[in-house]
Amino acid sequence: MTIASSLTDRYVEAALSRLPARQRPDIEKELRASIADAVDDHLETGADPAQAERAVLAELGDPVRLAAGYADRPLQLIGPALFLDYTRLLTALLATIVPVVAATVGLVRGLNGGTPLTVLGDTFGAALTTGVHIAFWTTLVFAILERTPALRRAAARRWTPAALPEPPSRRARYGELVTETVLTVLFTTLILLSPVVSPETDANGHPVGVLSPWLWETGLVHLFIALVIASLGFSFAGYYLKWSVPVAVVRSLVGVPAAVMLIWLAATHRVLNPAFVAAAGWPSSVPGWIHTGLIVISVGTIIHTVVEGLTRALRR
Amino acid sequence: MLDDELLSVHLQELRRGTVVLACLLILKRPNYGYALLDLLDRQGFAVDANTLYPLLRRLEKQGLLTSDWNTEESRPRKFYRTSDAGTALADTLSRDWDELDTALRTLKGES
Repeated sequence: MTIASSLTDRYVEAALSRLPARQRPDIEKELRASIADAVDDHLETGADPAQAERAVLAELGDPVRLAAGYADRPLQLIGPALFLDYTRLLTALLATIVPVVAATVGLVRGLNGGTPLTVLGDTFGAALTTGVHIAFWTTLVFAILERTPALRRAAARRWTPAALPEPPSRRARYGELVTETVLTVLFTTLILLSPVVSPETDANGHPVGVLSPWLWETGLVHLFIALVIASLGFSFAGYYLKWSVPVAVVRSLVGVPAAVMLIWLAATHRVLNPAFVAAAGWPSSVPGWIHTGLIVISVGTIIHTVVEGLTRALRR
Repeated sequence: MLDDELLSVHLQELRRGTVVLACLLILKRPNYGYALLDLLDRQGFAVDANTLYPLLRRLEKQGLLTSDWNTEESRPRKFYRTSDAGTALADTLSRDWDELDTALRTLKGES
């Protein structure tokens, strides 16, 4: 037994190394006695010592599993009590934050004059990095919760029927859709007409548009309108199709860039036509206030989009 | 006929928990881990050593078993014995088992 006992030593060592130090001496004594008893039993049936020891240890199984049993440690990363909360939160975070980051990065890179290839590459890179970070940190937090019994009990919420998704009233949502359509059409028409219909005229009697001509020269106004109309299209899609993660992703992909673009235009004072401000005789502080107002409205739109996506995903 | 894997899953589900009751009943007379494993096996309560040894410690921590080291023999062994709380639990579990047995007999129409 002396030669083969090294296997037992290695087994006991492997099991004990994963246990708190204060439990080790007692468990070691008991485990060694149990193994020796079992080996003796095998020897009585005529096995040779090495074989007997091998059979006994094989029967006991993986020492790490045994240690987990002693330490009452879960053998799963995230258990059934937390799994649904984990997947809900992860889906919600991925469906909202990744598209926002990707759209922002793509827009900023595009406006800074990157080639289509670098814009695409940077956008995908940002989306991937964000996704990996969200997945890693969320998983880490839940794995820690799983291993901390006090936190796990506090974190595991009791489900109540109140958490069921509400069937959205079709009529109310239809009203919202109609309002959105009317506003979009009105808004777009006003923007497109603004260069030719204006209360102010220049010396030659030509109208002075309220919006900066630079927007038309760069074609940004058409990009902006395209995004607004696409956003309306996805509101229709959201109404007629079932809400799903892909629909949410695409909705924020089109909704957020328009708002980000407006923030950027307002922050760089490129929305109003300086000639119009001068012709109308506005005080110099007015354009600043209008730009600030536009930024506030845009930030509100982004927050609304993200929160709506989050709550819908969490309720699923 | 059920396939073997499915059968063993259902049997395992049904027997889960009976090992605790069996331990509490057997250990009214003090005994040590390996002997208990052997006894359980012979009584038809098949349980793996790597399940039983941690289970004994858990029951001890819950105050259902007490333990003493017996160093009289050449090999020191940890002897477990059912505590008063353990005996009370064993009585409750046994009663529950009997009630289940009666309920099942009624279901099967034996009454």
